[in-house]
Amino acid sequence: MAAQSTYIEPAGSAFTSELVGELRLDIGRRAGRDIAVSQYSRGALRVFRPHYLDASGQVCYTVINPGGAYLGADRYGIQITVRSGSSLLLTTQSATKIYKTPQGPAEQHMVIDLEDDAVLEYIPDQLIAYRDATYEQDTVVRMGKRASFVMCEVLTPGWSPDGRQFSYDKLRLRTEVLVDGKLAALDNLWIEPAEQAIDSSLYFNEATHVGMLLAVDARIDAAMVAELRELSYQAAAEQRDPVQVGISLTALHGVAVRTLGTSTESANAVLMSVVDYLRARLRGQEPMNLRKN
Amino acid sequence: MPNTPTSSAHLLTLLQLADSALPTGAFSHSFGLESYLEAGQVSDEESFQQWLKHFLAQSLVFTDGLVVRLAYEAVEMEEVFYLDQLSNASALPRELREAAVKIGARMLSVAQMVFSNPELEQYSQAVASGRCFGHPGIGFALAAKSAGATLADVLGSYLFSTLTSLTQNAIRAIPLGQNAGQRVLAAMHGPVAQAVETIFTLDLKDVGAAAPGLEIAQMRHEHQRARMFMS
Repeated sequence: MAAQSTYIEPAGSAFTSELVGELRLDIGRRAGRDIAVSQYSRGALRVFRPHYLDASGQVCYTVINPGGAYLGADRYGIQITVRSGSSLLLTTQSATKIYKTPQGPAEQHMVIDLEDDAVLEYIPDQLIAYRDATYEQDTVVRMGKRASFVMCEVLTPGWSPDGRQFSYDKLRLRTEVLVDGKLAALDNLWIEPAEQAIDSSLYFNEATHVGMLLAVDARIDAAMVAELRELSYQAAAEQRDPVQVGISLTALHGVAVRTLGTSTESANAVLMSVVDYLRARLRGQEPMNLRKN
Repeated sequence: MPNTPTSSAHLLTLLQLADSALPTGAFSHSFGLESYLEAGQVSDEESFQQWLKHFLAQSLVFTDGLVVRLAYEAVEMEEVFYLDQLSNASALPRELREAAVKIGARMLSVAQMVFSNPELEQYSQAVASGRCFGHPGIGFALAAKSAGATLADVLGSYLFSTLTSLTQNAIRAIPLGQNAGQRVLAAMHGPVAQAVETIFTLDLKDVGAAAPGLEIAQMRHEHQRARMFMS
């Protein structure tokens, strides 16, 4: 029989200030399958019932925002713990939309703890920022030496009535990964169209969509990055919309990918080629199929 | 009695540290410029000047520039060590970290030899023991600070020195005439002053804020075929 979530409230929130929505998940393994051994949600963040997308026992939770969008001065907090030997695939129901934020930036704060031999794949839908939107996302991942982490994001300019592509005010996504307390990688994206010449070849280089992927795992090395490079360049070449790709070994057994393109689909195709390679190579897992369509 | 005109002692320290003849090996690094040369996006004085201006405003300010300021302002050596790690971890393209370690080691050895002080000693020891990576901006900041240079001057001279090295590289690689190089550098005076102002508005969480197009170029340089530069 499948293990049931026990719905015990976790010890306490990592967040001290007031939140519009809060989600806490503590993932452990019960009867051969991973499950939230405790979960808590409040306000404008919830999760669907867990799913199992393959036979690996990995649990998939889908985050939903019943309000449908992040508004001005909204603060969201997500706290994820994955226990030793467990695996979580965390995704979203749909794109995260940021509308205008005259009351102050919309913020998402995420704290992730991964014990040794824990796995987290954080694969949210794209982020869409509309006119006059400011969004700040701060993610801190604290992982054991033998844990495995991957996340990716695609940032998309929302439709604007005057047809301008970059009508949002500011997007900041800061992701910090610590392995056994030591800083392993910091991905720091800061896009502020009115303040920066973002059409420069150093910035968006005529693109509109920026993609990022960060993976940290003790088994990632230069040889693996070389294979991933071939694979991601190949995935990029197969896209109808041109997409520029950069990929490199990060400071401590990790890989970083950046894409610049003109569609969410082309960025996703490149980033998912890397996600799928890593899950096959590191865990013998099938390609990810989120079955959203 | 008439005043005797004197020059402040730290001026000469800054001139020496910021001299493009300082043996740091900066001439071997293009920090991604070579990818733009290969792609034909930078091919003459005008396109190089534009690239350099953006490199300063969109990258250098948030990387070395901010690191220099925070190292100068650090009260405890622990803050300096943390900056060293933050700067290394935020350089996602592998060649950028390797460049910083190489140039940093030489900057530290010169600075220690000529402008030794307790903070530089401690930082060098932390690098020798493997605790720190060794960042050129931190070595520069610690040496110039102990010579009594003001932070604004330290920042201006460090940034301008980096732009000078890149211009020398562009003169060889594009190639450009020496006069064209000097025109580009003169055009950077205003942007450097602006960059220093911007750096004063930033804080620790801004270290390593990235320009995505440049990062992609820096990453793709790893497998560029004909190369003059190590980054």
